[in-house]
Amino acid sequence: MKTKFLLKLSPLLLPYLVLFCGGVFLTFSQSLGFLTPLPYEGGLAEAYGSILSSPSFYSSFFFSLQVAALSAFLAVAAGTLLAYWVWKLPAKLQTAALIYKIPLILPHIAVAFVVLLFWSRSGIVSSLAHSTGLIEGMQGFPNLLYSGWGLGMILAYALKGTPFAMLLVMALLLRFDTRQIQTAAMLGASRLRTFVRVVLPRVAPAMHTAFIILFLYSFGAFDIPYILSESRPGMLSINVYNLYFKRDLARRPEAMAILVIMFCFAVLFIFAYTRVVNRLENVERKI
Amino acid sequence: MKHAFVFGLLVLLFILPVIVLILSSFAPGWRFPEIWPGEFSLKGIEFLALHKEKILTALGSSFVFSLVTVLVTLGMCLLPASVFAGSEFSGKALLEGLLLTPALVPPMTFAMGLHFLFIKFFLADTMPGVVLILAMFSYPYMFRALVAGYQTMGQEYRVCARNLGAGRLRTLLTVELPLLLPAIVAGGSVVFLVAFSEYFLVFLIGGGSVPSFTGYLFPLLSSSNRSLASILTLIFLFLPIFFFLVLDTTLIRVYRKKGII
Repeated sequence: MKTKFLLKLSPLLLPYLVLFCGGVFLTFSQSLGFLTPLPYEGGLAEAYGSILSSPSFYSSFFFSLQVAALSAFLAVAAGTLLAYWVWKLPAKLQTAALIYKIPLILPHIAVAFVVLLFWSRSGIVSSLAHSTGLIEGMQGFPNLLYSGWGLGMILAYALKGTPFAMLLVMALLLRFDTRQIQTAAMLGASRLRTFVRVVLPRVAPAMHTAFIILFLYSFGAFDIPYILSESRPGMLSINVYNLYFKRDLARRPEAMAILVIMFCFAVLFIFAYTRVVNRLENVERKI
Repeated sequence: MKHAFVFGLLVLLFILPVIVLILSSFAPGWRFPEIWPGEFSLKGIEFLALHKEKILTALGSSFVFSLVTVLVTLGMCLLPASVFAGSEFSGKALLEGLLLTPALVPPMTFAMGLHFLFIKFFLADTMPGVVLILAMFSYPYMFRALVAGYQTMGQEYRVCARNLGAGRLRTLLTVELPLLLPAIVAGGSVVFLVAFSEYFLVFLIGGGSVPSFTGYLFPLLSSSNRSLASILTLIFLFLPIFFFLVLDTTLIRVYRKKGII
């Protein structure tokens, strides 16, 4: 019975253990200096030492955190609101509202390109500002994409993430009974109050899932930063890329050490986030 | 009024970029400060025709490895999903959570370690290597969809087919798979899109010897030839839409024929 059960799970468990766990293990061992392409001269934790003692690592780490948190928050907030509004549309219009799926289909690099078309200094918004007389020339337009705040990346991730959050929230709304909203309205709740007290608790699980996925994706992904990133502070993924491909092979353990730190952070984040959400929900239930 | 507002917002966010991409495709000379392109030309399309072979190779290769990735994830998840949907065992929630992590943690963290292994086993710079890494990163979407599919299907159909004397394989092929088709299509579409639009993993493991559409598009996006980049981006948008439409209509036809709907 036991072996049969394991056998049935094996098509998934085997690749998971070999490729995923094995991959993480290899990253980890290379960060310690084992199995590297060149024999590593340094000590066991030397790569970690040099990473953790450089201020640029911390600025990159917090910069990645900030871009990820802001973009995920924006996407989830906009996605939830839009999903709610679209859900309230009459059925016929809802079909037309399917246009929201467009950025879901576009790859990340294409969304980054769209942001470039619109928001660069020579882009559409800048041209619009010029023709309405808001700015004199290209230089008058704020350098949004290269301001040091990662605004370009935040915009791109938010644009790509909004429909994703909408999709998840919409799936829960489909099973939501409209009469609850009518009841709330009859009992005298304002529209805002109905949304906050009746609708939001219902769609909260989808919002949390969307936030975790979007946050971790923008924290560690490479595609969008490679097109829209600024040189300093860079996203962690770009630092890893540079260390891995552009620097000396001897620095491979440092790239791997950053990856291990990113991995641990991601796992910790998932645990901490679900913990906090569970606890908050329990508190709410008691009230 | 309210509807118009919601629609305006949707159009502004999601349709306007497409319109700008279409305009920019036909206006290579569209520069600041023009809000509307000064002149239209077919230069971008001409370039496309000139480099037809390279573009088609990249597109075809992307299409093939994405489809194979879908099939591989399906093969990986089919049996385990039936176990997860049909039985309770200790540690199920934990195992399910663990199995979903590859889609959550940054894929770089395991892909770069694996790169070493793939080089040793001659999987680096090959199509199978690319498929494996993409499948490893995208199978959770297929898994979730299949578990949900098995749950809606329930056990009864299978039990009934088995009672009537159908073998395991026959039950799977003639009873379960057709009923699971909506779930497979849902999960498969996501896996396909993830694989089709991934740049970094294909670049890392494929190393340039596995052509991909993202790899072809990437250098163009930051070049000055915005017209060409726009055209290729539009292909990225409309090809999957077309593909899904064809898939949808054939599926509906199949269901009608079988009398499912």
